[in-house]
Amino acid sequence: MSMETAQPKSVKHVPTYCYNCVSGPDFMCVKVVDGVATEIEPNFAAAEVHPARGKVCVKAYGLVQKTYNPNRILTPMKRTNPKKGRNEDPGFVPISWDEALDLVAGKLNAVRAKGLVDEAGLPRVAVSLGHGGTPSNYMGTFPAFLAAWGEVDFSFGSGQGVKCVHSEHLYGEFWHRGFTVAADTPNCRYNIAVGANVDVTGGPCAVIRHADARVRGYKRVQVEPSLTATGACSAEWVPIRPKTDPAFLFALIHVLVRENGLAKLDIPFLRDRTASPYLVAPDGLYLRDAQSGKPLVWDEVSATAVPHDTAGARPALAGSYRLAHAVVVDADKERREYSDVEGRTAYEMLSQHIAKYTPEWAETICDVKAETIRRIANEYLEAASIGETIVIDGKTLPLRPVAVTLGKSVNNGWGAFECCWARTVLASLVGALENPGGLVGTTVRLNKSRDNRHLSVKPGEDGFMVQYFNPTNKEEWQSAPATRNLHQTLVPIVGHNGAWSQALGPTQLAWMFQGERPDDWSMPMPTLPDVWLVYRSNPSISFWDTKHLAEVAAKFPFMACVAYTVDETNYMADVLLPEATDLESDQMIRMGGTKYMEQFWDYKGVVLRQKAVEPQGEARDFTWITTELAKRTGLTEAYFGAINKGVSGVSPLKGKDYDFSLDPASEPAPEQIWDAVCRAATVTLSEGSEEHDLEWFREHGFYAVPMSRLEWYLTPTMEKLGLRYELPYQERLLRTGRELGRRLHEQKMNWWDEQLSEYTALPEWHDVPGRWIRNLENTGAKIEDFPFWLLTTKSMQYHAGGNAAIEVMHEVAQNLRGHAGVIMNTKTAAGLGIAEGDRVEVRSHIGATYGKASLMQGIRPDTLIIIGQFDHWATPFANTIGAPSLNTIAPMSLDLTDATGSGADIVRVGVRRVEATA
Amino acid sequence: MTRYVMSIDLRRCVGCQTCTAACKGANATPPGIQWRRVLDIETGEFPDVRRTFLPIACMHCANPPCEAVCPTRATTKRADGLVAIDYDLCIGCANCVMACPYDARSIVHEAHFAYGDTPMASEAKRFDPDRIGVSMKCTFCVDRIDLAAITGQIPGVDPEVTPACVNSCISGAMQFGDIEDADSSVSRLLKETQHYRMHEELGTEPSVYYIWDQS
Repeated sequence: MSMETAQPKSVKHVPTYCYNCVSGPDFMCVKVVDGVATEIEPNFAAAEVHPARGKVCVKAYGLVQKTYNPNRILTPMKRTNPKKGRNEDPGFVPISWDEALDLVAGKLNAVRAKGLVDEAGLPRVAVSLGHGGTPSNYMGTFPAFLAAWGEVDFSFGSGQGVKCVHSEHLYGEFWHRGFTVAADTPNCRYNIAVGANVDVTGGPCAVIRHADARVRGYKRVQVEPSLTATGACSAEWVPIRPKTDPAFLFALIHVLVRENGLAKLDIPFLRDRTASPYLVAPDGLYLRDAQSGKPLVWDEVSATAVPHDTAGARPALAGSYRLAHAVVVDADKERREYSDVEGRTAYEMLSQHIAKYTPEWAETICDVKAETIRRIANEYLEAASIGETIVIDGKTLPLRPVAVTLGKSVNNGWGAFECCWARTVLASLVGALENPGGLVGTTVRLNKSRDNRHLSVKPGEDGFMVQYFNPTNKEEWQSAPATRNLHQTLVPIVGHNGAWSQALGPTQLAWMFQGERPDDWSMPMPTLPDVWLVYRSNPSISFWDTKHLAEVAAKFPFMACVAYTVDETNYMADVLLPEATDLESDQMIRMGGTKYMEQFWDYKGVVLRQKAVEPQGEARDFTWITTELAKRTGLTEAYFGAINKGVSGVSPLKGKDYDFSLDPASEPAPEQIWDAVCRAATVTLSEGSEEHDLEWFREHGFYAVPMSRLEWYLTPTMEKLGLRYELPYQERLLRTGRELGRRLHEQKMNWWDEQLSEYTALPEWHDVPGRWIRNLENTGAKIEDFPFWLLTTKSMQYHAGGNAAIEVMHEVAQNLRGHAGVIMNTKTAAGLGIAEGDRVEVRSHIGATYGKASLMQGIRPDTLIIIGQFDHWATPFANTIGAPSLNTIAPMSLDLTDATGSGADIVRVGVRRVEATA
Repeated sequence: MTRYVMSIDLRRCVGCQTCTAACKGANATPPGIQWRRVLDIETGEFPDVRRTFLPIACMHCANPPCEAVCPTRATTKRADGLVAIDYDLCIGCANCVMACPYDARSIVHEAHFAYGDTPMASEAKRFDPDRIGVSMKCTFCVDRIDLAAITGQIPGVDPEVTPACVNSCISGAMQFGDIEDADSSVSRLLKETQHYRMHEELGTEPSVYYIWDQS
């Protein structure tokens, strides 16, 4: 490469977006000098519509290097070594695009000839996608190809379940259509953040909102074992013992319910918007009206039990009442009749249930002083300012400016159900659930419409929102799994309402059961898929027990990977397909509206990612790759049909007053596809008043229309429909768990019994950390050899970015404590003879990982932290930085899998110095 | 008179290093050279610990120690408050590197690139041989400040003439402007807040103000 110092001939600032993590999209411009991308800049033209004022986070500033990284795969490649494994050089050799596409299409055509589903009833094609839905913002029309294809198995996750906020996704969407849940930060005054690392993972929108809130004087209490960047920016740090968060949250509820009492809580909200007044029979089921089957409440006006939706009734919230006659409906619709039965309100059940969970009790579990817990609970209640209102767009709503937010490994894995429940109950008790200032869901993924969670709220049974559980009744339960992660068989709550349901099954089971299965497994044996397609995903780094995972990946008969560089997963591939990366290709996506994290905006619209520079080498736009695969597998008609329906785009390409639909016979090129998408999107967003083509978007970048803040909050919609949140009592889950247990036991399977224990009406504390200790002891290991908890935490520089190969990210990340190292308490380290910078071995019962000791006071003495996901051995550059990884030594285990199929990033370890600093 | 200053609100900074990376991009600094960065500082003992993020760079002092020790007058104080280096005059003696109490300066003696000896296209496009063997530091994005004089735009208001770090900051921690202009946003902000300058006791009169609370 020759040096060029001459004056540039052309300088352009190309508007586009960054969606390197789930907290996007964020706006940026690419400065292009004489056709070379040289800088990333904010896009201040978007400052008005974008809460982050047109800015992107640090990750985006690595995209120039990402484009010109000399380690990129720049031609299609095929494997020449038929043996696969970490110690087998794949012998990749360059091939033409024709040969590469024919190789992949040939395998796909063979599948179609045999049938999409194999003898075990499982899809012959599996697809793995990277973190949290970010790939869908780069993979162009690939979703349309998948729609055209038919059955696909998404079971082999890159981290879904174990690396996402899994229980929050499932229960959040169940309770309040909150696939992701956030504080209404612009209005919030008090935030208890239990592991929620929002200043790292919330993206620029969250960062600016929380910064504004700090300056305005809100208080955030950070509850977590180490002092993260978010903790550093909080008013208070509470260093809780790992995985004891449910006890802390239960004690907060105790203080509100038992020490303050109902009179200080939001009585109208509890009475009208929750199931708190529903009467519960001694057997734990709702007492129901014998005729209608509706749950009963005690009407204080008539002093009788009446169906919950009786007009004019004033349901009692507390107490117990005698009913002359009622029925209950148990699992499998078993109906029992009761006479002269006592019914306690669900709130009363909560009150009695929570009585034992005092702050003094929690102190013994959490290592947090009772007085601290009590003070925080009382501060929360006071800050809730029950009775206060706010006017938004002419409508008066309650203002409840308090929120408890949860972070990963608090809201996934054992104990997460309890935490999600307690968090949502805490919001309900003060009326902060889905009201201004409080706790809001920010998107839906398991329900439709994906772009408007209000539209997903429809009346269902018992006065609650409709739910689409996977059936557990005898007739419909899926006894032979249709996916390798058994999502419909084992996890009712994940539903069956779209591709996301499948991807949110227990993905570690797909990996684990390719090896050993439980002794009493009585279902068809899981097979390997004939074809495995991998896009922006490196599960051999991002999952757990990565050594084992890579061994499983090596067994897949045929694997095609869209490749950026060689990495630890595509090392086992048969074909590598080089994709035009972020700055080299086109795509249009939605922005604002409902997105993850704190991406609730005052606008909604669409934004274009565009080819700012020509692709390097032979890299091709993924929409082109996808279109070619559709052609070569005979799916052109169905593929363009899906695009015309709006799959991969934003709106259907044909509507009531417009038609931009594409003719498959004309074999539209990617630019024609996006041109049609641009036009359809603007026509629908503007309700027919504007139409803009691809060229318009290349200049302007985005199109937005105002969105009322009223759309941020679900409670007004619930009120309009007369619906209640299914809180605090979980009768439906209780029944569902009983049914699921019956089905499994009918198949003579007991291996999921421990998970069935999670189906409770009111969660009990069980020794959550003890599960990891018992798991260790079950393997024959001695607990004294593994005296520490190893946790992980995220890093803004790397989180979800797939950018471990980017030099500048490594450089700037080193300015922060602990990157590429093992963070441990200074005094603990001194006791072990470990000094700053010493190389240490962190060992669990399945292996060891190595890094430099990084000593901090801001971490519990019993805890170690390894940031991010590293330990690369194949990815160029990343394999030189010597960064350790929890993933290398965290086991996959049925014992450590909760009822949603999730696990948490925590493992017992020992640590020792292996050599002193030079 | 004009004196450009920067304010950094420590209540806002989250230590994300976006400004660090944006500066590297805007100024094409080689690997390992950071004209600005955010320090990650811990004080206290467990469990009473504070962790603070502190962005640092050249303070563009009114009395710059680097200027006094420069044998060739390569380092000069401009009328608008910026401390500038003339690469043609600099001999790379490193006196200024030693004299700066803010650890703001560095010298690169050999060209090196992100992925070894060969520059990527983006690096080749922007490589400046004049910056080898001379003292370098944050310039407050001087090219942009000078552009303002031509276009009439206002640094700190118009992004085209505002330092890249300020533009990039996602927490809104940084403001830039003329402290001699009582109506500039930075002047107004400093009036409303409590702040300090780093090592003021040295008499350097830095142009970077750290805000820590309301007035």
